[in-house]
Amino acid sequence: MSGYPDHLDPERHRDTKGREHQPWIRRAVLTLFTAVAVLGLLDVFGQRSSTGRAATAAATLEVRGPTTVRGGLLFQERITVTARRDISTPRLVLSKGWADGLQINTIEPQPGSESTRDGRLVLSYDDLPAGQRLIVYVDYQVNPTHVGNTDMGLELDERTTPLVVLPRTLTTFP
Amino acid sequence: MDLVLRAIVVFFLIFVITRVVGRRELGKLEPFDLIMLVVIGDLVQQGVTQSDNSITGVFLVIGVICVLTVAMSFVGFRFPRTRPWLGGEPLVLVEDGKVIERNLRRQRLSVEEVAAQARLQQIAHLSEIRWAVLETSGEISFIPKQG
Repeated sequence: MSGYPDHLDPERHRDTKGREHQPWIRRAVLTLFTAVAVLGLLDVFGQRSSTGRAATAAATLEVRGPTTVRGGLLFQERITVTARRDISTPRLVLSKGWADGLQINTIEPQPGSESTRDGRLVLSYDDLPAGQRLIVYVDYQVNPTHVGNTDMGLELDERTTPLVVLPRTLTTFP
Repeated sequence: MDLVLRAIVVFFLIFVITRVVGRRELGKLEPFDLIMLVVIGDLVQQGVTQSDNSITGVFLVIGVICVLTVAMSFVGFRFPRTRPWLGGEPLVLVEDGKVIERNLRRQRLSVEEVAAQARLQQIAHLSEIRWAVLETSGEISFIPKQG
């Protein structure tokens, strides 16, 4: 059509020929954003707590804390050891992921001693009589640069003898 | 490195968002939009810099955003075929006084809103309009009929 404003083409800018796909792209991206929000509601990106539990004849080992977190978040892991028989010098042997990429703000109660075993962190506590519980709180903040899956497996030992093993993984989103 | 990557990701996230929400929302800033803008700015800052309060960090982030802004502008200038993707395209809303309903629906615009914008340009009736074009900035330009 003659006299149409410069750089405007009636077919493209009025009849939207060749632009039919544009609303669909917009809808697709909006659907993607909606899906991300729904996944967030479903706790896919953290940080709702869940409980992991393992038990043997000697003790029950329980960890409550999030398995998915995001950079910079504060969170807590609560470790509960319930002795089914007397345990002499209970030791919590923490996999590398319990310290790697996380800032440990506090561990309560503090262990009598700390050491390392094959790259793992070993926290030693006083003897635990049968029926007694040891509850340890570990407060964290996620390092903002930390991303990915880390092994947060946990082992309860009596001195150096493993009693209970609890595998656990922490996923960190950027 | 992390800061640069964060700035790049956030830059393209904001770019996609502004392209997706549509020009209707971007062309005008009402009080709610203004507050949302400030809130989004704060959220973006936290996501990009997190606990980095250094001048180095500021240089890195602003530098990355500047470079990407100029790069996008250059790509649009150098390769015209990318312009519709980068900046959108104008859309004719009214021609010869007749409203093109399909195009209004496409941008979630009502006739009343177009008429209100026309009044701001001292155009009392849509029938006086030769063309009304929704520009890539989100503003509506009006070309009145001659005579």
